[in-house]
Amino acid sequence: MLNQLISTEDAAALIAKGTPLSIAGPEAELDKLPKGNWIGGTIPYFMLPDGGAVVRQGKVFVTEISGAGNVRFASYGPAELEKISGNCPENGLSIAIIPAGSEAHQNFAKDAANYPDAFLKPTVGWIAGVHLSELGRVKPLVYAGFNGSKSADQAVVAYVELPADKLASVEIVNLFEPGDGDLLQFPQTGFTVKDCLVNGKTMNFAEYVRSKGLEHGKLPLVGDYTGARINASLQNVGAAGEAVSLYAPVFSDIQYHFARPVPDYAAAFKTRLADQQAAGLLMSCNCILNFLFGELEGKSIGGVAGPVTFGEIAYQLLNQTMVTVRVQ
Amino acid sequence: MAVPAPNHPCWQKLAGGALANIKTEHLGTQLMAKRMTRSTDPLPARAAELHAYFTKWERILSAEVAQLTTL
Repeated sequence: MLNQLISTEDAAALIAKGTPLSIAGPEAELDKLPKGNWIGGTIPYFMLPDGGAVVRQGKVFVTEISGAGNVRFASYGPAELEKISGNCPENGLSIAIIPAGSEAHQNFAKDAANYPDAFLKPTVGWIAGVHLSELGRVKPLVYAGFNGSKSADQAVVAYVELPADKLASVEIVNLFEPGDGDLLQFPQTGFTVKDCLVNGKTMNFAEYVRSKGLEHGKLPLVGDYTGARINASLQNVGAAGEAVSLYAPVFSDIQYHFARPVPDYAAAFKTRLADQQAAGLLMSCNCILNFLFGELEGKSIGGVAGPVTFGEIAYQLLNQTMVTVRVQ
Repeated sequence: MAVPAPNHPCWQKLAGGALANIKTEHLGTQLMAKRMTRSTDPLPARAAELHAYFTKWERILSAEVAQLTTL
């Protein structure tokens, strides 16, 4: 199945043939694509077999999804995101793209793990973004190619109905492990944090982060979800006494530690991916913060290809994590 | 080992919190265990959801299925 960076003209030709696709690329390129069987989202960053790349024009990253099963499409507003898993076929998979910073992004991040059948019918996908030089000036967008629209606040979804003898296996590569430092808890669930509990004692979180020299944001909070390590990454650390904003919410019932540093992201990804089989691979995505802090532009990480995104989806929103989906 | 029948007592025990003790590296199962601890659904509904979950994923969760009646 096609899962690679191709010219916008070639992508348009695939759409014209009726091929169901998930497409990532710059807004100007996605705008050129015709109406058809596709969903998409804006992003100019990609991991390619021979290294990370930034693409500003002429190309889009295309994932052909029809090889995995029958495909249909939908889009949902921020108040109806439970339909992503709720409307998924019985033996199916939802591929969702949501624009960063939108109400849909916020709602999905807080609630996805509680949606109907969320673990019977997996949702995977990514959060659309922009070139980092355009942050705050340009809105991330998603595209419902099936009806010819684009939006800054919808989720677009491709439902893949798998054959009865196939299952969708959702896997993640999280390079970050909890460090040996303080146990952190948060009294309220949210993307913006003012206070936290440090080993049970209330502190201003921004003050705590600054006291540890972690305001650079390279190390995420690592939450323990009954053994799964799920990150919440720092977006902006206010002055002492102010708030910290995050790329994913912290939850009041989860225990967190700041991560240990990762000395060499590319080498660590290669090591982790060496154990993974390529057979049945449908799609992958990786995080812009891994691309940025790991200096992955031009560096190969083991042959996996896909968009580099403003958040990853594997059942729920993830940060600083690679997601792969395999049909087996 | 087959998935226990829907009326097996293990399901209510698992849904009541015992699933958190499962030994697994499977992301979906780890997150499902957290969902159980957060859910406000009645216990029988949570038990039925767990039965449906392990029935669906039995093929790739044989090590986890083998633990269900021991947790």
